[in-house]
Amino acid sequence: MTAYSLWVMEFAAVPNYPQSGLIYGMHNQGTRKLPYCYIVIKGQGHLAMVDVGYNHKAHGEVLANTYGVRGWHPPREVLGEIGITPEDIGTVFITHAHFDHMGNIEDFPNATFYLQERELSKWVWTMSLPRRFRWLMLGIDPADILRAVDLARQGRLVCVDGDRENVLPGVDLHAAFDTHTWGSMYVTVRNDLATNSESSWVFCGDLAYTQENLRGHDPKDPEYIPIGFAMGSQFNLIMKTEEMVKSVGGDITHVVPPHEERLKDLFPSRITKAGLRITELALADGEKSQVH
Amino acid sequence: MVDDATATYIVDNQRCFEDLKQVASQLAGLLVLAAAGSKEASPHHPALLRARELYREAMDEMHRGRPTERARKHHEHVAKAAAMIGAALRQTEGAFDLDRILIPLRAGYAELERAADALPGFEMVSYERACCGQRLGQSK
Repeated sequence: MTAYSLWVMEFAAVPNYPQSGLIYGMHNQGTRKLPYCYIVIKGQGHLAMVDVGYNHKAHGEVLANTYGVRGWHPPREVLGEIGITPEDIGTVFITHAHFDHMGNIEDFPNATFYLQERELSKWVWTMSLPRRFRWLMLGIDPADILRAVDLARQGRLVCVDGDRENVLPGVDLHAAFDTHTWGSMYVTVRNDLATNSESSWVFCGDLAYTQENLRGHDPKDPEYIPIGFAMGSQFNLIMKTEEMVKSVGGDITHVVPPHEERLKDLFPSRITKAGLRITELALADGEKSQVH
Repeated sequence: MVDDATATYIVDNQRCFEDLKQVASQLAGLLVLAAAGSKEASPHHPALLRARELYREAMDEMHRGRPTERARKHHEHVAKAAAMIGAALRQTEGAFDLDRILIPLRAGYAELERAADALPGFEMVSYERACCGQRLGQSK
């Protein structure tokens, strides 16, 4: 059986992103396209997402004009391509609190958000440090934290402490502390709902950006190469990569980095009229393809 | 483009703006922990002590600011933000009543956003070195 349909939905992109930011040590090696995507999980009576992107009103102009981010489209338009609306989303898993993953929570009025408590508490701790430590705050939008207060008061913020199984049937959360951020997490979908699944998928947030992070530069002689940016340690990133790869039985194509442009080479996809790519990783039993 | 005097004002006043943003962030962070039921949220959290200290520094910096005509609106928004954030901060001295803190805090944060819009050189989020993008002109 296939329990869930899984789509990677592009909502913006940086056409020329330096490889050194994506793969540790690749300095002066040119650029590649960096898509911004979120994941949709549909099945078993649930509609869920992994991350929600950023709020264009708050960040779009600066990101477009100064940082080269192009083609942002709102969730209503992006999700509309597969026939759903933001209001349909009941569950959101936030892999980490950077604004481009958590910055659009207000567009999902009916969703309950899952986030590691450590991600919040360590940011708060960071804020108590002297100004010379401000590098540790990068990527965080205080407005997102204010919105999270509202979520919590509405009972729509679940602070997770470590791993948690079956948040939805077959969907597990795994802590990846002190890696890309203090309290990152990745999401596993056991798509046959089996405890020892033979059809697992990992949605890794920014624990990996590209296939090279998972298998190195030579697929015939694989190695783990961490991403170019770790708030925690490269060691922790590598050990979590091993954990993620093991959880999908060694098939790295089932570890899905949302910023990986080359997912299109591995799975069916299509480009929308707005120029955004939809990649279809899996189709639940009885579900119609959204890319053919 | 801004004139030389305004450019000087921008450089001199970035610290005040950043400090107020930091105070707002510290308060927001504590509020979300409190609202989520975290045991870490308390009126004695180190972030709150640091916020009070930073707020005093920001007020000193703000009072030293001499805005040009071009910078006048920015300065007004910063002053309003400081008043609101100060009000939010005072509300933390007693019991942790979320509403009483959140309302002025939100208003103060909105004023900071307006201040950022009113003059170049003031960013609400530090995108620099963030993993989301690379400043144009540095990537080639």
